[in-house]
Amino acid sequence: MARAVGIDLGTTFSLIATMQGGDPVIIPTSEGERLLPSVVAVSKTGERLVGWLAKRQAVTNPENTIFSIKRLMGRKFKDPSVQFDMKKVPYKITEAPNGDCKVVMGGKEYSPPEISAMILQKLKTDAEAYLGEKVTDAVITVPAYFNDSQRQATKDAGAIAGLNVIRIINEPTASSLAYGLDKKKEAIVAVYDLGGGTFDVSVLEMGEGTFQVKSTSGDTHLGGDDFDQRILDWLCDEFKKQSGIDLRQDKMALQRVRDAAEKAKRELSTMQQTEISLPYITADASGPKHMNIVLNRSKMEQLVMELVDRSIVPCRQALQDAGLTPAQINEVLLVGGQTRTPLVQTKVTEFFGQEPKKTVNPDEAVALGAAIQGGVLKGEVREVLLLDVTPLTLGIETLGGVATPLIPRNTTIPTSKSQVFSTAADSQPSVEVHVIQGERPMAGDNKTLGRFILDGILPAPRGMPQIEVAFDIDANGILSVSAKDKGTGREQKITITASSGLSKEEVEKMTRDAEAHAADDTRKKEEIEARNTADNLVYQAEKVMREHGDKVPADLKQQIEGKIAAVRSALQGQDAAYIRRTVQELTETMQKIGASVYQQQPGAPPPGGQAPPGAEGPGPGKGKPDEGTVEGEFREV
Amino acid sequence: MEEDRQEVTAELGAPDAQRYLDNWRRAEADFENYKKRIELERAETARFASTTLVLNILPVLDDLDRAFKSIPEKLAHLTWADGIRLIHRKLQATLEAQGVTEIKALGETFDPSIHEAVGQTAGEEGKVIEEAQKGYRLHGRVIRPAFVIVGNGQRPERNETESATDSHDSGG
Repeated sequence: MARAVGIDLGTTFSLIATMQGGDPVIIPTSEGERLLPSVVAVSKTGERLVGWLAKRQAVTNPENTIFSIKRLMGRKFKDPSVQFDMKKVPYKITEAPNGDCKVVMGGKEYSPPEISAMILQKLKTDAEAYLGEKVTDAVITVPAYFNDSQRQATKDAGAIAGLNVIRIINEPTASSLAYGLDKKKEAIVAVYDLGGGTFDVSVLEMGEGTFQVKSTSGDTHLGGDDFDQRILDWLCDEFKKQSGIDLRQDKMALQRVRDAAEKAKRELSTMQQTEISLPYITADASGPKHMNIVLNRSKMEQLVMELVDRSIVPCRQALQDAGLTPAQINEVLLVGGQTRTPLVQTKVTEFFGQEPKKTVNPDEAVALGAAIQGGVLKGEVREVLLLDVTPLTLGIETLGGVATPLIPRNTTIPTSKSQVFSTAADSQPSVEVHVIQGERPMAGDNKTLGRFILDGILPAPRGMPQIEVAFDIDANGILSVSAKDKGTGREQKITITASSGLSKEEVEKMTRDAEAHAADDTRKKEEIEARNTADNLVYQAEKVMREHGDKVPADLKQQIEGKIAAVRSALQGQDAAYIRRTVQELTETMQKIGASVYQQQPGAPPPGGQAPPGAEGPGPGKGKPDEGTVEGEFREV
Repeated sequence: MEEDRQEVTAELGAPDAQRYLDNWRRAEADFENYKKRIELERAETARFASTTLVLNILPVLDDLDRAFKSIPEKLAHLTWADGIRLIHRKLQATLEAQGVTEIKALGETFDPSIHEAVGQTAGEEGKVIEEAQKGYRLHGRVIRPAFVIVGNGQRPERNETESATDSHDSGG
């Protein structure tokens, strides 16, 4: 069964998205862009062009280049809004026999759904090429204020493009889905959508996963383009003041200033100040002229203040129509590229008395939400497999009470993981596997899930036995932990069903605790690590002295015994720095053993400062921290 | 193994088992396809990683182009100007080494896949009469179309276009 796509069929730009691995993603066009201009044209040679190509040739062919077709969808020719738009567009709008409007392109009449279908067709074809599979089912978005005939026209467009429109949804609803609001129970949501050319504000009431539009308002001719125009006008005025030349008369120069104005606007969303530098922008009798103007954020805000204020009027209207006060709104969402401007965010915050949400890319929210809706609808047919994650890290306790993680938090389950551990003492007959859950570095601060003992380990020096500990979580969150002595094959096992016994609050608390104690915990863990290193070194040193003591000169022997005693006494105390210092001294002294032992053997390799031959396990030579129990990471299962 | 499967089938009922198996296969297939696509995308991303940087450097190159276009007669012969010209060439060469190539525009037939029309003027219809800003490709992909002025079919004061036939000229 083919996947569903979500399509944001916009006035100036359109986007297409689909679900991939559980998340909605935008599908790029064949030109490698995420946005497709909602423009269709028939060139003089009779070729049909859609999107970027149509837009790029518009200047040469304005009467055959159709843009903003969305404004005509499902409207009658006599509709005042059609009559208004007719005066502003260079292409011809005619009346169909049934009173609908049609547009003329390349000498032929087309209905608005036919034009929209060409845009949809291009999105569909590009998506098919990208996904490598057929695309048929689609969710298409429309403004909340679209009436039945406008919705039907949109549906028709989908059908003409060869799409099976499984649902038409409202743009603010799609945005809410993109923000994951469907997971909440009940809420009143306000969606502030300021795009390139239109502004919409909607108030939605959400309950049990359904969205109901309470009210909508907006301004069909207010958007980012107006912001650009304000900056452009200011730049031209400033330049005229400086040079006396009016750039508005020079089409080419104006194009450069327009691009620079748009870029400056974007930069001022993150920076406080930007420089508009356009060398050789024009020339007069005295020679070339350069534009070099600094625009700071507060000046820009002054320039666009009136536009932002204009957007607040419909917000007030929408609330009034819904019979609500700003305080009754639970969530405010920002959608549309122009909401990146900090002033817009400030004004919206002021009006609603709360911080709006702005985590989803505002250009893409509608299309992403449509894709989510598509995924949900397809889910009714093909069940969605819900994959859970482990909310907290799972691990075991190792030497010194350290928590050693095996499965980090947020790992998708089912999953399994194994690691090889060893013993901490010579001839240790058994190991205790203490299974813990939590983010703290010390085992004692985490929650105990269970413990068991694996015995029957054959007598061996510490670090020799290989104990493989394996964690396995099944799809139901049931954790099994096994420990196996790889030497003898003995195995012990525990199954913990209570791993899901933590409430959401408990999980949050444990995560918070981990953050709050992070610094403290790190210090504690470092101390333990220093202790483990020291303990291991003393063990190694004593072993060396036992095995090779006879070859060590008496004075060196005495020195080493002194240092060993120092480390031991340091281990009695709590001072990690002192422990590390004595370890360092012992390590250095130990290296002298190698030197003197190898010097006694003619022809032997020069002293390398490594552990003497015969010493098993990690050598003391480098004094590098070693937890003692972790023998090494073997291949994961 | 065989027994296990029978047992599962018995417990779930055959249709359920078939559905689960089907979903499992789909999930596996989805994942395989996803991996392949990610691999392709990774290669693409690496290849076009410099796009943003190049796009931001191009205006500097444009400005240098403009500077040389309007160089005063008196200065053009100075060796100092030659030095700047060499810097200009060096910048071009550096970009070329990164896979950036110039798009041909002047005199070509207007093609919206590589040209963006910013105006029209007298001249042969559908031909690029003037280049306002150079266009560039990166590894063959158009990263910025050339901004061009296209002929509108009207005869300029002095027509220098092909004189062999006028058959393509429209009567009006």
